[in-house]
Amino acid sequence: MALYDMSPKAIIESLPLTEPVLLILLSLAGQPQHGYAILKDVERMSSGRVLLSTGTLYGALRRLLDDDWIERFEEEETPRGRQAYRLTSHGRRNLQLEIDRMKHITRLATLRVATKES
Amino acid sequence: MLPVYRKLLRLYPAEHQEMFAEEMMAVLSQECDETAQRTLFVRGQFFLREITGLLRGALRERFRVLFEIQDELSFATGRFAMRNGFRFPKTTIVFMALILGGVLTAIKKGQDIASSVPDVNPPLPVHIQSVHSILLGGMPLFFAFFYAAGLIGWAILFALRRSGVHRLAGMSTEQK
Repeated sequence: MALYDMSPKAIIESLPLTEPVLLILLSLAGQPQHGYAILKDVERMSSGRVLLSTGTLYGALRRLLDDDWIERFEEEETPRGRQAYRLTSHGRRNLQLEIDRMKHITRLATLRVATKES
Repeated sequence: MLPVYRKLLRLYPAEHQEMFAEEMMAVLSQECDETAQRTLFVRGQFFLREITGLLRGALRERFRVLFEIQDELSFATGRFAMRNGFRFPKTTIVFMALILGGVLTAIKKGQDIASSVPDVNPPLPVHIQSVHSILLGGMPLFFAFFYAAGLIGWAILFALRRSGVHRLAGMSTEQK
């Protein structure tokens, strides 16, 4: 089901994202990337903790493409027309929702832990 | 590693292969170049990660295709809207036949072994004998029944899809 067909409730139900998916989306949030660049970026962002295999990466990309979170296009300046990926407006909006959700939890957790300590 | 990986990529559904196979090979090739200078341990880890990732990915894609088919069977409208790209995987038929063959062979072997051993034990009570015979006699029937039911179900779905395609072809001809 494409995301524009989904109700806001359905979108929220698709959250939280798994860590690899979140890192892939974050990698694409800055600029469009091709497969290998995404792998390396995810590894860098997680300080080497999340090492994606090629199969895992393309499984995640496939699902994100199906749900219209990202789109695929041919890079112009490469000799063999390499495929690259970028966030769609839906993907960006949902990434923002996920970040807001995480911020809320972090704020809540900080408050609760601080209350307990005092 | 690349030839092994290319062979294993065939485990993915055809649609996925068509879309991503070359790209996945290109990414893996770059990764192989990068890890070539690393220690044997790191290369081993890399190999293991890639192969397990690929196998898990292929399995997940196969399941996804199956669930998509289920999603598109609309019982609410009483019609089956099968995707044009749908094909019952030939490998599934082969695997089903192999499993059935294996089960039947195992049962036959078991019966042969049982009959070749001299009957030194006292006869079993009547109620145990009946359960034993039901199991041995019923197992092949049980598997054959489900195998046949699966084949009939697939044939019905296939026929519905074919007839749908023909109806659509007829409609487009009439419109012209």
